[in-house]
Amino acid sequence: MDITLLSLLLVVVLFGLLLLGLWAGFALLAVGLLAMIFAASAPPGLVFATKIWGSLTSWDLTALPMFVWMGEILYRSKLSSNLFVGLAPLTRSLPGRLLHVNILGCALFAAVSGSSAATTATVGRMSLPELKARGYDLGMAIGTLAGAGTFGFLIPPSIILIVYGAATEQSIARLFLAGILPGLMLAVLFGGYVVLWSMLNRDRMPPPEPRVSLLEGLRALLLLLPTVVLIVVVIGSIYGGLASPTEAAVVGVVGALLISGLSGGLGWPSFVASLRGAAMTSCMITFILLGASFLTVAMGYTVIPRTLAAWIGEQGYSHFALLTALLLFFIVLGMFLDGISMVVLTTSVIMPMVTVAGIDPIWFGVFLVLVVEMSQITPPVGFNLFVLQSITGRGIFEIARMALPFFLLLLLATILLSLFPEIALWLPNTVFSR
Amino acid sequence: MRRILDTIYAAAMVGACLSMVGIAALVSVQVGGRILDRVLVLFGSAQLGIAVPSLAEIGGFLLVGAAFLALPETLRAAGHVRVIFLLNILGPGPGRLLTVLVLAVALGLAGWATWHAAAQAWDSWAFDSTSFGVVKVPLWIPQGVMTLGLGLFALALADELAQSLFGEPAFRRAERDRAGGDY
Repeated sequence: MDITLLSLLLVVVLFGLLLLGLWAGFALLAVGLLAMIFAASAPPGLVFATKIWGSLTSWDLTALPMFVWMGEILYRSKLSSNLFVGLAPLTRSLPGRLLHVNILGCALFAAVSGSSAATTATVGRMSLPELKARGYDLGMAIGTLAGAGTFGFLIPPSIILIVYGAATEQSIARLFLAGILPGLMLAVLFGGYVVLWSMLNRDRMPPPEPRVSLLEGLRALLLLLPTVVLIVVVIGSIYGGLASPTEAAVVGVVGALLISGLSGGLGWPSFVASLRGAAMTSCMITFILLGASFLTVAMGYTVIPRTLAAWIGEQGYSHFALLTALLLFFIVLGMFLDGISMVVLTTSVIMPMVTVAGIDPIWFGVFLVLVVEMSQITPPVGFNLFVLQSITGRGIFEIARMALPFFLLLLLATILLSLFPEIALWLPNTVFSR
Repeated sequence: MRRILDTIYAAAMVGACLSMVGIAALVSVQVGGRILDRVLVLFGSAQLGIAVPSLAEIGGFLLVGAAFLALPETLRAAGHVRVIFLLNILGPGPGRLLTVLVLAVALGLAGWATWHAAAQAWDSWAFDSTSFGVVKVPLWIPQGVMTLGLGLFALALADELAQSLFGEPAFRRAERDRAGGDY
């Protein structure tokens, strides 16, 4: 079959199946199977079994259920209620005041959980009622949360970076380090926007609250100390080369169990619930990875990715033109697909093109994560929007409008990252060159 | 019948959870052993060298156990990602037809996957294939677990398909309960 025709057919089938509501993993599997039937001489079944066995029994991937579990435990602990109490005194004197709690809270929770949806839900459930009761602008409260909730993908441990690393055979430790500075940059951008907005819209800010004493502020901060220590230990042990990501993840699980066990709030029922929740999330992600890894081999047989890469190579597009095209493509894709499916689809088809263009795969991972973050807050399909819809009861499009400034800030961050690749690459390169 | 099936799914989920606990326990021993050695060296005594042999491989096998054995319950709890955009637009009648269609396609694919995973496990058994590490794990065991997980997934899909013909399958109920909020 002609390669252009085959590509077209596969794209139509993939999006057709996804739109019909077939589970993402099955849709990828079906397209892989179709591609092999048309374009490969190898037996699809044998290739399928060998490939998924090989790619799923991976030590690096073992970090995934452990990081998910760590997040699940802390999600059920008292951490979520402590976040607001602990962070509120810190932000009281900044312009924008308690709106910053959303951003700091998300950044902090993202550092213990690799999931954006869990970050948004955890922080949102405790901060939105508080902000509303204090008379903060609701659009801003929801918008900051929708935007900052996406930090979960970038700030390590990031589930999506583990998926990317496993699918492209990149070092997960390097990817984690590459995510730190861009994550902090985003937090600064978001925080800066809140400061600016609150100075321009003084009339929409509630009256200031009484100052808290230093002692009270310190006591509140103390509540967060165990979690901060845990973050430092987990990330630090990877950073210092003391532990592999999987080992660090298990240290995180043990630490999370200790923290929630000691602070009360972790009984047998919530332990079992955390374990079940983590097993289901890991299962969901692994199943998509299964489909994706088969699709990747199948696409290799069709030579579509290689042809596409060669064609792009011949056109001699600049990095910037290529990245802009990819960015637009991803934004459109992100309106309809979830983040993980987007990443695995990319790695099956677009990776050879990226490599040919001479783009650093670690850097591209961070770029991809930023784009995926945008996809979380673009309607009609955006997971953070769904989460916020179920918390606030407002419509998807209304929430998306509130999140629009933060979508634009994510876009700005992507541009900054493209202009200064060192934002992502400096940290891993310095750490691993020692 | 209902009770038997639910027990099977629940048992598989217990297997998945135990695999996760297994990963955590083995890695804890490994990390604990390393920390203990550092402390011992610090105080001038000899290292004990407690370590889990072939941890990387065994961890990978346990991951497969955790991921595949959880497939049926994750399906029934609507934990797997799918786009329900079109379904929400359609009315209940065509929507139900769509659900049946999607389940049938998924069942076919799951059956195909189970068959070939089983063939692989069978080959490993027939040829006595083992893992490469210090601990030689016969590969048919973890591959058998993978096959079992896929097989139970197919069973759960068939179960849901049958349910969807007469009423509402469990995953649709879970999806509706969540009312669009997916996390």
